[in-house]
Amino acid sequence: MSIRDVLSPFTVWKNILRDPVTIRDPLNERPGAARYRGFHKNDVEKCIGCGTCEAICQNAAIDMVAVEGRTAKGGDSGLRPRIDYGRCCWCALCVDVCMTGSLSMSNEYKWVESDPDAFRFTPGVDKKHWDNAELGYHRPEGHRLTLGTRVIMDELEPEQRIGSFVEMVNGYTVEQAQREADRCVACGLCIATCPTHMAIPDYIAAVRDGDYERGLALLYETNPFSEVCGRICTHKCEEACAVHHDGDPVAIRWLKRHITEQVPYEDYTKIVTKTAPDTGKRIAIIGAGPAGLTTAFDLVRQGHQVNVYEALDKPGGMTRYGIPEYRLPYNALDQDVGVITSLGVKIHYNTRIGVDIPMQQLRDENDAVVLAIGLQLGRSTRIPNSDHPAVHKAVDLLRKITLGEAFDIPRSAVVIGGGNVAMDIARSMARLQMQQYGEVQVTLTALEDRDHFLADPVEVKESLEEQIEILDSRGPQSCELDENGNLTGLKTWKVLSIFDEQGRFAPKFDSDDEQIHQGEMVIEAIGQMSDVSLLGDELTEALEWNRGRIAVDDQCRTSEPWLWSAGDCVNGPDVVHAVADGHQVAKSIKKWLNQVEVEAVQ
Amino acid sequence: MTEGHQSSYERLKSKSSLKDILAVAIEFERTARDFYSDLAPKVSKNIRYLVEELAEEEQEHYDLFTQLAKKPEIETLIEAEVETPASDHKFSDCVHLPDLGEKPDDQAVLQYALMREHAAMEQYTALAKSTKPGPIQALFKYLANEETKHKNELEKIYYETVHSGGV
Ligand code: SF4
Repeated sequence: MSIRDVLSPFTVWKNILRDPVTIRDPLNERPGAARYRGFHKNDVEKCIGCGTCEAICQNAAIDMVAVEGRTAKGGDSGLRPRIDYGRCCWCALCVDVCMTGSLSMSNEYKWVESDPDAFRFTPGVDKKHWDNAELGYHRPEGHRLTLGTRVIMDELEPEQRIGSFVEMVNGYTVEQAQREADRCVACGLCIATCPTHMAIPDYIAAVRDGDYERGLALLYETNPFSEVCGRICTHKCEEACAVHHDGDPVAIRWLKRHITEQVPYEDYTKIVTKTAPDTGKRIAIIGAGPAGLTTAFDLVRQGHQVNVYEALDKPGGMTRYGIPEYRLPYNALDQDVGVITSLGVKIHYNTRIGVDIPMQQLRDENDAVVLAIGLQLGRSTRIPNSDHPAVHKAVDLLRKITLGEAFDIPRSAVVIGGGNVAMDIARSMARLQMQQYGEVQVTLTALEDRDHFLADPVEVKESLEEQIEILDSRGPQSCELDENGNLTGLKTWKVLSIFDEQGRFAPKFDSDDEQIHQGEMVIEAIGQMSDVSLLGDELTEALEWNRGRIAVDDQCRTSEPWLWSAGDCVNGPDVVHAVADGHQVAKSIKKWLNQVEVEAVQ
Repeated sequence: MTEGHQSSYERLKSKSSLKDILAVAIEFERTARDFYSDLAPKVSKNIRYLVEELAEEEQEHYDLFTQLAKKPEIETLIEAEVETPASDHKFSDCVHLPDLGEKPDDQAVLQYALMREHAAMEQYTALAKSTKPGPIQALFKYLANEETKHKNELEKIYYETVHSGGV
């Protein structure tokens, strides 16, 4: 080493008094441009955790992660997007696609941190100083990557449909269905909302791909009543649809129906097969509605011998005898049931348990018994004169219409109720009146105001189109008679409120606002109940009850080890819920039979 | 006509003592409790919960009213004359037991119970109105509030039972 090498480092000291040529924090004076795509912000209250941002990110820079204190609820997965700035390329596709508009980018672009992991963060959850930055990139108004409007399904015009019970919607064409399927972002929020957890994004993808056989197989994985549900399901899944935050929800129900229409019916039984060998076990099911027949579908495929006992002459329960044909044509229902019976399920029609076959006999001859009897009796208001022969219950009349039993069609009718059953009977009566008299005179009175009707809003809209007069906030007081005892109509008072401050039913009326609605017939559609008389006194006593309904656990087991109960009679009216119950029962029976077998071996 | 009804009818005059009013109120709760307790084993098990709950509720009211009548601050006022309201007849009639038939259903039981609670609520509200502010009025207000609470509960049950889920 030379002496120069030793001394030269000290030569730099000569610069100590010179002005610096670098600046300490150079960019403070240089904020990002107003629309700069800087660090992400997320309004976590608005975000629904749909994961569409994660799906679109080309760099896999977004992961959906659980956030402390946030749980999944209807239409919200509870997850929130975490961004990895080691991967992000700042393209803002995530912001452009965000279904709720919750995700945006600030114009901040500097972030100094010694821990590299800090650059993976959850905007809105991990607080940052740019969280409230006004500037940055937001999805421009009216700019969107998904289609906001749903493809309308063609339907008959009111004047075409009012004279008959022909199905009013036509179904999608392949081109329409694929366009509608393209709107799905496959977030899967709908799956959690569907009681039977149908594989909705997957079957919508099958529509997109035109692979209908795959679609049908997917439907049958969770729902043997897809033709029925494709028409009349309450489609709660659509309420959870992420697309609904910025437009119409995807028409999930119609796409389901579309799949069932695209596969030739004769191919159904090739796709839906029975695989398990016979077990020699016998199961009896009371009631051939969706709950009973879904149970039967699952159990027969497990190899059990399944007998279904039905009091009426055809299957379907309330889906046949309660839902009018213009909403659910009988052949659609028959096709669903046909697949189930093709697997070996035997349905014994016109067979009343407790009358034709004692309950005890079913118990003795079977390994398990399932009660799925529905809610077939109508409730009455029991207002004065409601026992008049011209006052009917909606469910009784709907049943008569299905059975083709004659009754005098009134020239004018008043319906009490604001739910779907009220709409069904009002619209059925309108059709019958049109056929017989060429005009419609149906008045529907509901306790609720129009914004709180229990019926599906589409039903209300279509009823109005069919010339049904709908009067909201009217409380029935009495059925009116003339001096000869003939029914002349219904007297109602204006409803001031239905519930008190605590949300309890406490109707208040204004008796000064009284109206008489003319009608030769009054139809009550206020509620339904089960006819549990088939159980007999002994079993009724032995069973545990839960506020008027048979008590069941989360597997639909009653307090009697050999008896299960499912569907409307235990969980209230809803077809797809009944289907979900059916699966639950089948699963529970499978477990029970295995357990019995194990115990027998021991 | 039952004994309870007779004695209450006797008391139908423009003024009654607080003692009499409380006696009718206690009788009102007792007859109801006994009625529901007798009915419970007769009705089908699926609706028995309803009748049993009603019997329990009436027992609670019976205990409450009996204790109230014994409170020293009430005992000192027991002979006070109170104007009886127009609702008195209807209220006294409720002491008379109804005929709901051999096997009434849930709706019939609920309708009867609601009618009773309504009559009691009206009666105590009217009594409170016809008395001057003070301990007696406070007592009637309290009773009216108790009956109103019970009626509200029953209306909720009625809605859930009869209007089954808005079908
Ligand atoms: S797309 Fe929007 S709403 Fe969906 S998870 Fe991402 S930030 Fe949330």
